[in-house]
Amino acid sequence: MDRLIARTVEKHRPLSVHFDLTYRCNERCVHCYLDHDDHGELTTAECLKVLHDLARSGALFLTFSGGEIFLRPDLYEILAAARGLHFDISLKTNALLVTPERAARLREFDVRRVQISVYSDIPAVHDAITKVPGSLLRTLAAIPILLEHGLQVKLACPLMQENLMAYRGVMALAEKLGIPYILDLTITPMMNGSGGPLAHRASVSSLLPVLQDPLMHACKPQPGAPAASAVNASPPAFGGAVSSGIENLAYEDLPCSAGHNSCYISPYGDVFPCVQLPQAAGNLRREKFDEIWYHAPQLERLRAIRESQLPICSRCEIRNYCERCPGLALMEGGDMLGAYERACALAEEKARLAGVAVPISALHSGREIASFQPAPQAEFASLAADSSSD
Amino acid sequence: MSAPAPVFWQKNPALAWREIDGETIIISPNDSVMHELNDTGSFLWKNIDGRKSAAELAELLVENYEVTPDIALSDTQALLEEMASRKLLVTVPATLGVSP
Repeated sequence: MDRLIARTVEKHRPLSVHFDLTYRCNERCVHCYLDHDDHGELTTAECLKVLHDLARSGALFLTFSGGEIFLRPDLYEILAAARGLHFDISLKTNALLVTPERAARLREFDVRRVQISVYSDIPAVHDAITKVPGSLLRTLAAIPILLEHGLQVKLACPLMQENLMAYRGVMALAEKLGIPYILDLTITPMMNGSGGPLAHRASVSSLLPVLQDPLMHACKPQPGAPAASAVNASPPAFGGAVSSGIENLAYEDLPCSAGHNSCYISPYGDVFPCVQLPQAAGNLRREKFDEIWYHAPQLERLRAIRESQLPICSRCEIRNYCERCPGLALMEGGDMLGAYERACALAEEKARLAGVAVPISALHSGREIASFQPAPQAEFASLAADSSSD
Repeated sequence: MSAPAPVFWQKNPALAWREIDGETIIISPNDSVMHELNDTGSFLWKNIDGRKSAAELAELLVENYEVTPDIALSDTQALLEEMASRKLLVTVPATLGVSP
């Protein structure tokens, strides 16, 4: 896998694609970043054309998500086309609409993995987030159905204020079911830039008990993890998450895989580097995928970014503890190349937990220096900044 | 003892696969294991269509690569059997060759 990632990053091959088929949803999760109204989704024929384009471009790992994918009446037609084009298919769903018949169809199309959002093992907590009474019980009922049909299931649990301490319950649930799970501390603004979901984000200080929990650092092999076979076979690092595999050496001086060997496609055909980086590079109703992928200036600019050249973060002494995201840097700090408060504060806490004596991020050390500057110099810096922006 | 019945080789239809810059990546959905084929392996993979025997595939290898017929046949046979043992390929009776 390392070699494959290195090759595709070097040559900018779109190895992994996250394709949202709809933003419509039968849940109303409090932290969701999507506008659930249908503003003109790609038709079935347009979706199939996108799939042909992606296959021709070398895309292999394909994740269908939403919104809720089962609300697309043509889901099976799309899955059949993806199967015929030999994609590795994963799905993300809340599983409310899973039935034995639907699970059998997914199996028929050789879907490899189904990732299901579960916010807690306590119905009241989960249902308060989804705003659908009874949703946890329905979601959990779907899991054995999918497993019985031979599908791999993975739980995904975004953590926010409402369910912060539920993570142990979700971990225990996954272990009891014998399936892998992923916990996610990322709550993002809406794709239109509105900060509404951020009101549900757990504060950095409230995350400390989670970060300190020895269970989070136990590194036990997760059940259901793919097994490596001999010789030239290896388990894929890609799977549920399109932008996974950041730890790979191929990304060493890159912010992440977005735009290098992965991308995101919206239900309206917009191509983005990542779902968390809402700068559309083009639209598949007007252009072919290759024209966007290989020639869009937005992607070319993104590909030129090197972490070692970031104006603030490159001189940060605790950057090894940081999980800076260029999309969140843009949405929260206004600059894809910049530092942003949330990442810096989290990095400081992680560094502190790892034993760094006085961990201060470059963003905050810059502020501390500025706060001690004699007044005339501060005024000069301010004037210089003003003049350069003219 | 009679000779084994001739067989054609066919890709396992459940697999995900893609040729990327001359190398073929294959993912088996049942066990999530990834397999990579080099240039000649990819050449054979492309030509495995449920209508060719090992000998016919080896002939194609000889036509396109600098390799003797004997080595081509033994290497092809070995690769096909290796891939079959990993459930990447299946055989069909030569009389029942099917579309890929």
